[in-house]
Parts: sequence; structure tokens; C-alpha cells
Amino acid sequence: MRARNSLYIFTIPALAVLTLFFIHPIILTADMSFTSFKGIGAAEPVGWKNYDRIVSRDRYLDAIWITLWYTVIVVTALTITGMFFAAVLHRLPAIRNFSRAALYTPAMMSFVVVGYIWQFLYSPLNGGINVALRDLGLGAWEQNWLGNPDLALYSVAFTQIWMFTGFTCAIFLAGFAGIPEEIGEAGKLEGATSWQRFRYLELPLLGPSITVSVILTTIGTLKTFELPFILTNGGPDGATRMLSIEIINNLFGQYKFGFASALSIVMLIIVLAVSFIQNKVLRDRENVT
Amino acid sequence: MTSTADTHAAASGPSLDWDLIRRKTKSYFAHGLVLLLVAIMLLPLFYMVMMSFKTSTEIANDPLGLPASLYWGNYMEALSSMGYARSVLNSMGITVSVILVVVLAGAMAAYPLARLQNRVSRIIVMIMALGLATPNFVTITPIYVIFRDLGLLDSCLGIVLAFAALKLPLAVFFYTGFIAAIPVELEEAARLDNCNNWQVFWHVIRPLLAPVTATLSLFVMIMVWNDFIYPLLLLTDKDKLTVMIAVYKFVGNTGIDPTKLFPAAVLGSLPLLVMFAVFQRKIMAGATAGAVK
Repeated sequence: MRARNSLYIFTIPALAVLTLFFIHPIILTADMSFTSFKGIGAAEPVGWKNYDRIVSRDRYLDAIWITLWYTVIVVTALTITGMFFAAVLHRLPAIRNFSRAALYTPAMMSFVVVGYIWQFLYSPLNGGINVALRDLGLGAWEQNWLGNPDLALYSVAFTQIWMFTGFTCAIFLAGFAGIPEEIGEAGKLEGATSWQRFRYLELPLLGPSITVSVILTTIGTLKTFELPFILTNGGPDGATRMLSIEIINNLFGQYKFGFASALSIVMLIIVLAVSFIQNKVLRDRENVT
Repeated sequence: MTSTADTHAAASGPSLDWDLIRRKTKSYFAHGLVLLLVAIMLLPLFYMVMMSFKTSTEIANDPLGLPASLYWGNYMEALSSMGYARSVLNSMGITVSVILVVVLAGAMAAYPLARLQNRVSRIIVMIMALGLATPNFVTITPIYVIFRDLGLLDSCLGIVLAFAALKLPLAVFFYTGFIAAIPVELEEAARLDNCNNWQVFWHVIRPLLAPVTATLSLFVMIMVWNDFIYPLLLLTDKDKLTVMIAVYKFVGNTGIDPTKLFPAAVLGSLPLLVMFAVFQRKIMAGATAGAVK
């Protein structure tokens, strides 16, 4: 047994890299979050002042709220759009692989490029969407998609949903592929419609895929940064100012390293708490259905 | 086969043919409708390519129309002033280095984790899980400070290690699952021949890891190619910029000029999209492999 434990030597390179560039930084973040560190000079300890500021000012509570609400919208929509395409493509094997790859293409692109394209699509005068609406005779529906504080968050969310529908679709298609064919055949023999087969035979068996998809998209969405950064930079009027934007602004706009660290720790706690709760709730549900 | 089909068709009069026609029509309609929806999802990409070939006058006068002719001027302009070739080389160099670190360190760490289950391995697995869930925002501030103090800002070594730390947990999980499925008997044969741990790992385990390594390399490449925050904060030297930063610096963030934006967007995504077209099956399989445990 002793000889086998010496195998752990093999973990040293990985643990060294992770200690230097992951664990040590996390500890430093926690440390800095209790100081007024400005990037240079001494870090004055300030106790809980940074955290106090976060929980007592509307600006930061709003940022947390916007981040969570944005995640709810995006994750819910991605589950539905991905499930829709997966259920339909599962029934159409002739075009399944092609469509799956086509839908996945936007997820291969960078947030920066996607952000640029959609910024132009959304632009109020000559933007693709407003011009298309005008050409279709729906000029009344034209909007200032990114300039209207009531709409901006949903416009950004729509872009992210467009980008990752292919991702959730691929996860669900893998889930469908794991369902024994006899189940669908039995349903057909019983005369179940396509919708009934989906609702009563397939959906209950897709629990594990739903769990994986929801957890992965939630973690990915909570840390969204590039899209709002490129599309709106937090505006208009703070409508899309998420935690991530707030962190980068404090860090590189104002050099408030201590405060940015406190925001980062809040973000870490939110991500860990949300994924823990989701994991628990979704896994429990899987066992019931 | 044919004969049964024939008798079947002959025996069952015109009513069944109608049913067949109805079903065929319905099926064509369904395929057409879904392909149409997929095409609609791809419209923004079509828009990107189309816009990149339009002159600024065309964009102003007819924002949605097809370009009168393929105008390459925007590309000439972008290629001459965004330092594209240089940035592609930089991104490729960083990608290869990160792959080397992640693959070697990841596979090595996964070997004991796949073979031993005790408190030590559970703690290491927990660190990896934490690494998977942690947003890189949490570590950005201190990484910037550490890099500055160690003189790693603007160095390729620094950004390679920072990227490697981001993808190592994923690599360890991939390899652990894969190695656990390799029969222990293979190793025992080698041990009887007096191979030590390292020799067993290098000569028995490592050669079997090629499929995971390929998938993982593609993931690393996608991340390095598309990541924005790390190179934005950690690299400022004009000669070390990655592709996405070159695109960002060229296009800017305010008063965006479409004749710059669209060719830069196409050039920025082209290499990955070409790779996706070539390795589509591999990437799609890998994308779901991690998800379906």
C-alpha cells in the first residue's frame, strides 16, 4: 500500500500550478477584500467595510439582482430552446448531425466577436433588426434595443441565448440518444402522438441531462462579462451593470483592488451556493420522476 | 425484400397510397421547417460575412442588401493595420504551450486519482471541482498583482500558466474518468517486468490517452483563442497580443465603424470556424462527453 501511495507524487506538477495560480490567488482575494488596497503602496486593513458597502448600497445590490435575474432568464430560455431543437432533431435523423453542428457554430465564436455583430444588429438607425422590421412592414416594432433601459438586459440575454442554444441542444441530444429505442417504439404502437411521447416518455428520462445543462449554463451565465461589456458597458442607466462589469470597473477604472476583491468573493459565494443548491434540488428531483 | 414490398403495394389499394403521400408530405414539411429555423439561427453569421464585403456607402444606403460586388478593400485595410498574422502566431504559440502543460500535468495527476480512493484523493478531487466552478473573476485581481510583482506581466510564460490553471481541473476530470476505465491488469503485467510507476505511466497509460488528449486540446484551443479577459489584463506589448485582443484594439468599444468591425470579426473567428468544420464530429462528441457522465 505504501508503494501505491507514492503515486501521489504524480499530482505535484498539477497541484503546483493550481496552488500558484488558483488557490493562492483565492486566498489573496479573500485577504485583500478586507483592505483598502489601491494596487500600490500599503494595504490598509478596513475590516468588513467593503462588504458593508456592498450590502448597504442599492448600486451593488442592484448589480447582484441583475446578475441573478439575467441568469434566470438565460438559463430558462436555453433549457427550452435547446430542448425544443433536440426533441425535433431527435425525430429527424436525416438532418440531425448537420443541424446540431450548425446550431453549435455560434458557441465556437468568441464573446467579443458575437458582441460586435449584435451591437450592429441592434443599432437603432441602420441596425439589421430595425431595418428588417421596417422592410417587413413592422416599422412600429422598431426599438432602441440597447438604449432603452427596460429592454437592454433582455437584448443582451437574447444574444447569449442565441449563442448557446446549440450547446444545450447538443447536451439534450446526447440525453435523447441514451433513451432505449423500444420506449419510443412502444409509445408509437400505443398510438401516442409525438408530443405525448415527448411529454410522458422522453422528458421524464431526460432528468440527468437537464441537471447537467442547467448547472453548466448557470455557472457560465453568472460570470457573463464580455457581452454586456461590449454591447452596453453596463448601461443604459445601469440596466445591464452586472457584478462582473462592476468588478472590472473597480479594478481597472478606479484601481480599487480591495473593493473589487470583496465583489469577487461575493460572486464566488453566489456561484458556489447556486450550484450547490441546484445540484441538490435537481438530483433529488431526478430520483422522484 | 422487393417482392414483399410489391405484393404489399398491390394488395392494399389506393387508400394506403394516400396515407403514404400524406406522411411523406408531412415529413418533407417537417424537415423543411426545421432547416428553415436552423437557417434563421445562422442569419447573424451570414450578416457578418455579407457586411464585411460592403463599402461604407453601401452600408449606409442599403443596410440589409447584398453587396453589389465582393469588395475586398475592408479586408485589405484590416489585414494591413490590425497585426493579424502576428496575433494568429501568438495565439497558436500560447495554445500549443498551454496544451503541453495541461495534458502532461493533467494526465499525471489523474493517474493516482483514478487508481487510489482515499482521503488524499478526495481532497484533490474537491480542489479540482472548486476549480471547475470558480469564475476566473475571483482570481483576476490577485493574479494581476502577483504577475506584476513577479514581473510576469507581458510575459508569455505568465499567461500560459494562468490559462493552464484554468483548464487543468477539466483535464484532470477527463483523464481520471478515462484512466479508471483502463484495466489494471495491463499495468500489472508491466510491473512484473519491474517497471516503476513512471515507466508504467509513460509506456502503458500515456499511449492509451490519445482520444482524450485530442478532445482536450480542442477545448484548450477554443478557450485560448476566444478568451478576452486574461490577455486584456496581462498582455500589453503590441507584439504579444492574441487574436481577440487584436480584434478588440482594432475595432474599439465606441463609435464602431462597420467597415472595420465586420472584416475583423470574420478574420477573428475564421481559423476556429475552419477547424470546427474539419473536426466537427470530434468537437461535438467532446462537448457532450463531459456532460454525459
